[in-house]
Amino acid sequence: MLLQQIINGLTLGAVYALIALGYTMVYGILELINFAHGEIYMIGAYISIIVIGYLTAIGFTIDNPFISILIAMVVSMFFVSSYGFTMEKVAYKPLRNAPRLSPLISAIGVSIFLQNFVMLTQGATDKVFPGVFSIEGFNIFNARVTYLQVFIIAVSVLLMFCLHLFVTRTRIGKAMRATALDKRMASLVGINIDTVISITFIIGSALAAAAGVMVAMYYGLVNYFIGYVAGIKAFTAAVLGGIGSIPGAMLGGVILGLVESLCASYISSEYKDAFAFGLLIIILLLRPAGLLGRQVVEKA
Amino acid sequence: MKRSIYIMGSPKIFYFFGGALIVILSVFTFLFGCTKKEDVIKIGIAGPMSGDQAKMGLDFKNGVELALSEWNEKGGVLGKKIKMMVSDDQHDPKQAVSVANKMVNAGVVGVIGHFNSSCSIPASDVYYRARIPMITPASTNPQLTEKGYNNVFRVCGRDDQQGKVAAEFVINTLKIKKIAILHDKTTYGQGLAAEFKQSLGDKVEVLYYGGIIQGDKDFKAVLTAVKRKEPQLIYFGGIYPEAGLLVKQARELALKSPFMSGDGVIDPKFIEIAGPSAEGTYLTFSPDPMNIPTAKRFLENYNRLYGPHGPYSIYAYDATNILLTAIKEAGTTDGNKVSEKLHTLEFKGALGTIKFDKKGDVTVSPYVVWITKDGKFVEYK
Repeated sequence: MLLQQIINGLTLGAVYALIALGYTMVYGILELINFAHGEIYMIGAYISIIVIGYLTAIGFTIDNPFISILIAMVVSMFFVSSYGFTMEKVAYKPLRNAPRLSPLISAIGVSIFLQNFVMLTQGATDKVFPGVFSIEGFNIFNARVTYLQVFIIAVSVLLMFCLHLFVTRTRIGKAMRATALDKRMASLVGINIDTVISITFIIGSALAAAAGVMVAMYYGLVNYFIGYVAGIKAFTAAVLGGIGSIPGAMLGGVILGLVESLCASYISSEYKDAFAFGLLIIILLLRPAGLLGRQVVEKA
Repeated sequence: MKRSIYIMGSPKIFYFFGGALIVILSVFTFLFGCTKKEDVIKIGIAGPMSGDQAKMGLDFKNGVELALSEWNEKGGVLGKKIKMMVSDDQHDPKQAVSVANKMVNAGVVGVIGHFNSSCSIPASDVYYRARIPMITPASTNPQLTEKGYNNVFRVCGRDDQQGKVAAEFVINTLKIKKIAILHDKTTYGQGLAAEFKQSLGDKVEVLYYGGIIQGDKDFKAVLTAVKRKEPQLIYFGGIYPEAGLLVKQARELALKSPFMSGDGVIDPKFIEIAGPSAEGTYLTFSPDPMNIPTAKRFLENYNRLYGPHGPYSIYAYDATNILLTAIKEAGTTDGNKVSEKLHTLEFKGALGTIKFDKKGDVTVSPYVVWITKDGKFVEYK
C-alpha cells in the first residue's frame, strides 16, 4: 500500500517537476512568473495527440508504439519551444524595462489567449488519446507498476539529468547562471542577454511539452484547461523547492506528488489539494525562500 | 508617419468618413435592434455548452432544435415563430444563476434546462421569482423538486429512484456483500451515492465511502486505498470523464472489481476514455430509446440531421414539446398559467406518456440496469 502510493506519487511528482523547471528557470533569469507556462504544457499534450492520431491512422503506431511516442515527443517539443520562443518575443521582451506588474499581466493575457486559441481550433470537448498503449505492468511486492509509469519516471529523470549537465557543463549554461546572478553585469562581460533569455524559454517549454506528452498518454484525456491546474501545481512545486533554483524545482515536484498521493490515501482524497497547499504555507513560514532557495538580499 | 497620411488621403477626409461610418453603424444596430423585437416567442436553453461536458450540452441543444424546427414548420405556437436562446452555464452554479437572470431579462417564456443538478437548483430560484416554467431534461437530484416551486419540472427520473434500482440490483441479482462507494462531491454525484448507500441498508457492507475532485485526472491514490479493502464492486456517483479515468486507472492497478454507476456515465466518451477497461461496467439508466416504439420517428429525424443521438437528446426533445404544447393549450405565454397547464397535461411524446405529479416529477420513471459490452452500452438482461 505504502509502496504503491510512493510509485503513484513519484509518477505525478516527476511530471510536476518537469513543468516546475520552466517556471523556476524563467523566474531565475527574468524574475517573472510566467503564468502562460501551464498553457505551453497543454499545447504539448495536444500536439502529441495530433501526431499519434496521424501515426495511428497510417498504421505506424501499432507496430512501433515506442518509436511513435518518441516521434510525438520530439515533434511536440520542437513546436512547443517555438511557441515559448515567440511568446517571449511578443509578450515579454517589449516589457523588459516596464514595471514588474506589466509582464505579469501580459503573462496572464497570453495564458487566456492560448487557452481560447486551443479551444477554438481544437474544440471545447475532451480529446481522448488514441488508445494504443496497453495498461500492462508488473508487480513489485504488492505494488502494481505499469510500463508507462516506468517510462514517465525514466524520461523525466533523463531530461532533468541532461538539463543539469547543460546548465553546469556548457558555455551557454554558464551564461545562463551568470545572467541569473546579475543581468547587467553579465551583459557587461559580453553575454548576449536576449539569446540567453530565448534559450531559457525554449528549454523550459520543451520540458513542459515532454510533460504534456506523457500526461496525455498516462491519463488518456486532454482538454484546453488542463494547463491551469497543472500550472498552479507546478508553480507550487517551484516555490516549495525555492523559486529560481533548478534542483529545488525537481525536489519540490517530487515532494508535492508524494504528499498528494499519501494524503489522498491515508487522510482524505477530498482534501489532498488542501494538504498540498497547506504544506506550502508551512514551508514558506519556516523557510521563506523555499527548501533549496538561497536567502538573498532583495535587489535594489 | 507622412506616408500613412498619403495612403489614407487627407486626415480631415479620413475623420469625416470615420465619423460617418460610426453614425451609419449605430443607426443600423438601432434598426436591427428594433427588427429583432418582432413577434417571436423565445425559449431559453441552458446547459454546459463548453468545457468537459460540452458534448452533453450539444446533444441536448440539438434535441431542442429539432423540436422547435418541427413546431416552426407547422407555423409556430400562438401564431408566432419560436426562437431559442442558448446559454452556456459551463456546469458552474454561479454561471448558471447569471445566465438564468440574463434569459429572464431577455424575456424567455420558458426554459429547457439546466443539465447539471448543481446548476438547476440555484437557477430554479431565479425562474421561480420570474414565474417562468423550467423543464430540465437531465437533473436528477431530488432537492430540485422538493422546494415546492410550482414552475419546476423534470422529464427524467430522480436519484432516489435510481439509487434504489441500483441497490436492488446489487443485492438481488449480483448478490454482492462488500462494496466501495466513490462520488465526485457534486450535487448530482454525491446525492446519487448517498441514495444508493441508503438503499443498501444493512444488507451490504460499505468498506469505503469517499469523494474525489471533479476535473482531477489522477485517482490512483484513492484507488490504491480502495484496492486494499478488496471490495466486490465499486459504485461511483458522478459524470463520465472521471468515471472513465477511474475505471482505467483501477485496471492499471490490477484492481479487478466491477464498476457500477448512474446515468451521468452513459456516454460513448466513457468507453472511449476507459478503452477495454470499460467492459462489464453496470449503469442505471432509462430504457434504450431504440426499444421504445414511440421514439422511432424522433431517432430517425435526429440521426439524419445530427448523427448519433446522445443519452439526453430525446429528453430535451420531449421537454420542448411538452412546454410548447402547454403554451398552446393555455393559449398564453403567462408563466403561471403555463405551469398550471403543465401540471394537468398528459403528454404523449417520444418517450411514451409523460405526466407530472404535484412536485413536477414524472409519475412513472422506469430505471433499468445497463452494461458495457463489446464497447457498447446494452440493456442488462
